[in-house]
Amino acid sequence: MLLDTLEAVRALLWPRTMRRYSSAVLLLPAIALVLVLVAGLAWMGEASLHLLDTETFDTGEDYTAANYREIGAQSTYWIVLGRSVLGAAIVTLVTLILAFPYAYVMVRTASAWTRKVLLVSLFLPFFIGQVVRAYGWLIILGREGLLNTVFGAVGLGPYKMIYNYPSVLFGLVQYLLPFAVLLIAPAVTAIDEEIELASESLGAHWLRTFRHVTLPMARPGLVAAALVVFTLALTDYAMPVILGGGTNDFIANAVYDAFFRISDSGLGSAVAIVLVLIATALAAVILTVLGAGTLGFSDERR
Amino acid sequence: MKRNTIDRRTFLQGAGAFAATLPFGRFALAAEPAKPKELIVRVWGGEWKDAIDAGVSQSFAKATGIAIKYDETEDNELQPKLWAAVKQKRRPPVAVNWDTTTNATKSALKKMGEDLSDLPNLKGLLSVAQPLGFEGYPLVNVYSYVYVLAYRTDAFPQGAPKSWKVMLDPKFKGRIALYNDGIGFHPAAQVAGGGKVEDIPKNMKAAWDFIGKLKAQKPLLGEDPDFTNWFQKGEIDLACTIVTNARGAKKNGVKVAWTIPEEGAKVDTDALWIPKGLPANELYWAKQYVNHALSTEAQQGWCDGLGLPGVNPNIKPPADMVGDPAYPTKPEDFKKLLRVPNKIQVENEKEWFGKFKAIMQG
Amino acid sequence: MNGARSKAVVLWTVVAVNLILLAAPTLIILGASVTTGNIITFPPDGFSLKWYGKVFGSAVLRDAFVRSLWVSLVCTVIAVPAGTLAALALARSRIRFAKLLQLYLLLPFTVPLIGAGMGMLMLFGELGILGELWAVGLACCVINLPFMIWAVLASANALDADLENAAANCGAAPLHAFCTVTLPAVAPGIITGALLMFVLAFNEFLVSLLLTDANTVTLPVSIYNSIRNVITPDLAAVSVVYILVATAAIALLDRWVGLEIFLKSK
Repeated sequence: MLLDTLEAVRALLWPRTMRRYSSAVLLLPAIALVLVLVAGLAWMGEASLHLLDTETFDTGEDYTAANYREIGAQSTYWIVLGRSVLGAAIVTLVTLILAFPYAYVMVRTASAWTRKVLLVSLFLPFFIGQVVRAYGWLIILGREGLLNTVFGAVGLGPYKMIYNYPSVLFGLVQYLLPFAVLLIAPAVTAIDEEIELASESLGAHWLRTFRHVTLPMARPGLVAAALVVFTLALTDYAMPVILGGGTNDFIANAVYDAFFRISDSGLGSAVAIVLVLIATALAAVILTVLGAGTLGFSDERR
Repeated sequence: MKRNTIDRRTFLQGAGAFAATLPFGRFALAAEPAKPKELIVRVWGGEWKDAIDAGVSQSFAKATGIAIKYDETEDNELQPKLWAAVKQKRRPPVAVNWDTTTNATKSALKKMGEDLSDLPNLKGLLSVAQPLGFEGYPLVNVYSYVYVLAYRTDAFPQGAPKSWKVMLDPKFKGRIALYNDGIGFHPAAQVAGGGKVEDIPKNMKAAWDFIGKLKAQKPLLGEDPDFTNWFQKGEIDLACTIVTNARGAKKNGVKVAWTIPEEGAKVDTDALWIPKGLPANELYWAKQYVNHALSTEAQQGWCDGLGLPGVNPNIKPPADMVGDPAYPTKPEDFKKLLRVPNKIQVENEKEWFGKFKAIMQG
Repeated sequence: MNGARSKAVVLWTVVAVNLILLAAPTLIILGASVTTGNIITFPPDGFSLKWYGKVFGSAVLRDAFVRSLWVSLVCTVIAVPAGTLAALALARSRIRFAKLLQLYLLLPFTVPLIGAGMGMLMLFGELGILGELWAVGLACCVINLPFMIWAVLASANALDADLENAAANCGAAPLHAFCTVTLPAVAPGIITGALLMFVLAFNEFLVSLLLTDANTVTLPVSIYNSIRNVITPDLAAVSVVYILVATAAIALLDRWVGLEIFLKSK
């Protein structure tokens, strides 16, 4: 049998005595893939230590921290950074509040048909892509858009609903929502419905059951969703461009500007590295405060 | 044809071809190196691509049999790819780069471009074709364009606004648009703010004060497609944009017109250049393409599509641009054009960009 | 019961909001794709299929579409084994430096895409693999890898470690246990992850932009680049074609394996 042959090959290459290293081996391909990014980061780290000479448009040979000093000295970077972190936090909160009930209903509904509709609705937006989807929202929310037309018919408006900070956050929420649901749903699946029913049969209001039984048990999914939504929102480039009207940049836009608009790869690298450090630090905070989530729950397992 | 059976005839043909190509390396004028199947030209999409295709590429392909393929990567975004290729001694991703003169100047400073001085069609071009501050032609300017004040005609029933200061009218709060890097607006802002264009870059207080006042008007910042979109969707009434985009919007049925206000408007150029690292034969044909693009015939077709004055003095304005000050022909038209040398733009770009962002993102 | 009703009302209200968020732009784009005018608009100006004709008639778009399929395939083929194995390792055992490892594996999301793209442009250029289509697939795999890992981890959560041990104790060889116990248990996660990796690679434009050229341009890059002067309705038509293809794929998936597999409880 094929499996037996493979088994023999495995036993030869990887005897049982090596078993304690097996998780390291299993991790190797993923670690190697991410190494591609690390190599890029190393290149950026080197580039960030050289200053651009605008008379020759070459970077100097000397090593200097000037690019990092410039980031520290320019208030624009601080404003944009603060806007990104605050925005990512708000987006994470709102997305989770919206995503959890959706995941819950999708898993718990008795109707297979309902479940399918909810699941398919989740996947279809991925196929349109972020950019074209955002243009769809421009058509709905614009000054002469559909919604303002409706308001106008009842004598209201027109309201300015896009090209501001809230519309960027809105765009991020609708973009990240499917990811959050997909990460929360398996966690809800893992919760035994009997436990919830038991709690409610003991007279607990459903909100209490939700708070004390369902949400804590779904924590791994919530943490994974929070991590994904937070980091993707924090490093997003497209939404601030399309829905921000040009005055609501996030930090990734500053990275783009430095690399592409002013052709300063040293400064761009420095901004990117600062962003990586901040995003990683904040992800570490989320991991520490909320626990590991679905990403490695090794403490609870043997 | 099968390769593995070399009979006498094919051998002789092959040897003949080899013998024929050998001397022409030395006598480049006498004969043509092998034609590549295609040349890749970087272009902007939409109206821009249509214009160069109709004006330059089609006639080139017809005359030479070389197909032209387009790379529509934005000029800013192609630049790091090009630079990386030249630095790593790889073949560059495009054979001809249609670029802003500012970006092309950066590449020229880095000595990324082939010298184009020996192109026959350079003779007789307007002086603006030649890049300043370089020996020879590491790039060649191909036409001029003006950053006009475009306006929605419904918002100006009385006719065109007279001054850039109309942007400060509270009536237009939240309804004005600029390029998101501030490009094209500095000289106009300098004059509108009470300064002199000659003081750029030494003293630009007037420009920054004016832009600061504009920030309070909550402008939208975007790029070419955004302006068209915003005019069409009724989001804005005024924008500082390249005349080609306003003209494109108008052709698509958007109710928009443009003017050059009394303070004047910035004029700039775009360029063609050829990155280093191409195979010799492709370089030859890329040069032929650029040379062809400067001919009267190609310039006429290309610039008709763009609505812009080319560098070839023999071409005539398209019918809809006759008498338009954005297609300058008369002395009073030229007097209103504000020019900042590209070298100064390149050297100060980073600082100006930082200041503009500091105002707009604050 | 009052409680049950209020629960249903609250939950379904939120679900309705979600459905509007998910569906509204899709419907708009659908409608805008049949306009007769030259600019994306809704409601459309009249009805015509000319933009679909333009999309299907365009050799550039067709080639780009095929390339995107290939890129997505490469991405998925690399991501499935790499992500699944990593997830199982993370789920199964105590790992030293677990938190550091988690942060390391999160790098694809914490590095801004522009930075990732620039880094890979330099690296791939140095290695001489720039311009290879599979390298674009590799890049898409790297920047989205956490999705694959989490999708599998989420279902590995439900995996009972005792079950594997029991299989081992009964004398089942490790590979046997892996193929007959572990893999089926995490199959929903693998399928979800594979689908996500495929679709995300099919839509990736920012990193791909830096790694492709005129001869290797992918569909999303082609679309991104063509948004230059006006947003023409052919982009809407492309999206609708996407959606139709996707719907067909999902219908087939449902027919063959059943969509329920995504949410299969143990």
